[in-house]
Amino acid sequence: MLIERGYKKVRPLAGGLDAWIDAGYEVEVFEKAS
Amino acid sequence: MSKLVAYLSQYGVAVLFANVLVEQMGIPVPAIPTLLVAGSLVRAGKLSFLALLGAAVAASLIVDTTWYFLGRRYGHRVLKTLCRVSLSPDSCVRQTEGIFERWGMASVVAARFITGFSTVAPPLAGAMGAKLPVFLFYDTLGTALWAGGALLLGFIFHRAIEDVLAFLESLGTGALYLLGLALVLFVLYKWWQRRRFYKALRMARISVDELARLFEKGEQPVVVDVRHEGERQRNPRRIPGAMTMGVSEIDANLPGIMPETEIILYCT
Repeated sequence: MLIERGYKKVRPLAGGLDAWIDAGYEVEVFEKAS
Repeated sequence: MSKLVAYLSQYGVAVLFANVLVEQMGIPVPAIPTLLVAGSLVRAGKLSFLALLGAAVAASLIVDTTWYFLGRRYGHRVLKTLCRVSLSPDSCVRQTEGIFERWGMASVVAARFITGFSTVAPPLAGAMGAKLPVFLFYDTLGTALWAGGALLLGFIFHRAIEDVLAFLESLGTGALYLLGLALVLFVLYKWWQRRRFYKALRMARISVDELARLFEKGEQPVVVDVRHEGERQRNPRRIPGAMTMGVSEIDANLPGIMPETEIILYCT
């Protein structure tokens, strides 16, 4: 959908959030909706 | 009575049971043709509608309940594995989650009619905490509607199906080769489709280390968390600075992002 709207540099993150966490990189926690 | 019809009349229930069992395991052997033929044999009085329906429901429940418990125990890891081996790249975790969150357990019923989703829906229901009795009810309902509908179609269009069976019988063993070839071509097509999809993804994707290096260099790509709300609630962590944007929010958020900006998408 982003590419259809003219955004050419759209890249999926390999492994997703799990891979980012497994690699030990920093994450932030956002508040749950009440 | 032709040999083929005699064989199907004797073993039709067992064949249907095995076909539905295999299809629900994720192996691409469609059960719809078997259901249509079985329906035509019901019309001819050679098979019992209830026995066939029972066989389809039983086979589906055996496999779906297993997937349900696997999803409950292992969560999204099961779904990721299914998506990796699935020949339908569009039945990814994110899409199925979206359908489930929108329609709830009714999506288990609808899943029976959507290629690719019917295998993913049971473990997804387990992963998302659906209660077993509720899941069993909707799964049974969905399978009964799906199998019953196909049997009914076979019943109504029995003449056309009988003509097809007669044609296949006239081919002799060539019919087996023909059907086998059709199945192989179908699987090859789905495999090629999946391979092309993942090739495109591989060319575009960025590794976590590359993204971390971009941050270290001070570059600020737009990072977008595309997980559904339910998943974010269950796992409220995110990559620092990531914005959340569901599919329905894309147009509302785009005006603030220049077209030449690098956009990194991530889900679970």
